Amino acid sequence: MPVAQETVAVFILAENRLLREALTRILNKKSDIRVVGASAFVPEIAQQIAQLAPDVLLSDSAAAALSELHLITEIRTAVPGLKVVMIGMEADKAIFLRLVREGIVGYVLKDASAIEVAAAVRSVANGEAVCPPVLCLALLEEVAQQKPQPARFIVRHGLGLTRREQQLVQMISDGLTNKEIAGQLNLSEQTVKNHIHRILRKLGASDRFTAVELCRLPGAVA
Amino acid sequence: MQKVRVLVANRPRLMKDLVLATIGDQPDIEIVGQAQDREEIIELVERTRPDYLIIALEESETRPGLNGFLLGRYPNMKILALAAERNSGIFYWAFVDIRSRRVESSEQGILNVLRNRPELVAG
Repeated sequence: MPVAQETVAVFILAENRLLREALTRILNKKSDIRVVGASAFVPEIAQQIAQLAPDVLLSDSAAAALSELHLITEIRTAVPGLKVVMIGMEADKAIFLRLVREGIVGYVLKDASAIEVAAAVRSVANGEAVCPPVLCLALLEEVAQQKPQPARFIVRHGLGLTRREQQLVQMISDGLTNKEIAGQLNLSEQTVKNHIHRILRKLGASDRFTAVELCRLPGAVA
Repeated sequence: MQKVRVLVANRPRLMKDLVLATIGDQPDIEIVGQAQDREEIIELVERTRPDYLIIALEESETRPGLNGFLLGRYPNMKILALAAERNSGIFYWAFVDIRSRRVESSEQGILNVLRNRPELVAG
């Protein structure tokens, strides 16, 4: 079970100056939260935040607009372990999902109170996610729509297969036909057949499926 | 010392909390009420007769009749409209006609307006 931190260090990235100033004062009144910096967006913001090493980045939706530039990803790369909470103007599903892909773990709307913003900071610092119910539904629907990815097949080394032959074994394991493999690799179907013939000979396999099993790294596939 | 009487009617909720945090601790400012929507604003202005109304800028833009109506009816009141998204606000007051001036949406910007700093209020 995650243990609550004694003091959560917060950086506020917001274009609105009132939000930066007043939110800094409100959060600094909390005994368990300390605002270590606040700024509007500047080109070197990721480095500026990295130097202060906050636990949580609290950002307004103007910065979300900058997420086209993958700002959140850049900042998270510069500050490993940083938890990002976004203050959104509207419950916009597309913006929310894009920010989730960039790695935010908290999202509060401006209809939230200052107390709720402080609670969100504490929650993400404590290893939890924060999300308005309406956007939580969007997240669940998005995941439900995703097709399950096939288990990754890892070819065992030391079998004497060339890189191209290993690639073909991968594609056979994915269930592709010779024609489909030829289409994806921009080869003729006959060339693919020749490659597979050589693979079977090298492995001493009677058919393509036996070849796949012989190449499978033990324990590498679920 | 007579306090400056302020009615706070910002939206969304977080902006209202930030405005309240900015002016709530000031010894020379009194918050006389908080309004949620147009009807409450009109009712509370009538009842409390504030010196200043702080409102969402979006409200005054999407409902342009509100500022004119209020300043026409209560010419001694001044209105400060603050943007939630942008870094600015607009200060409105009545002087024969309705005048306005852009102000910074910051703690000091708000306090300067409420304290009637001449460089901000002079048209």
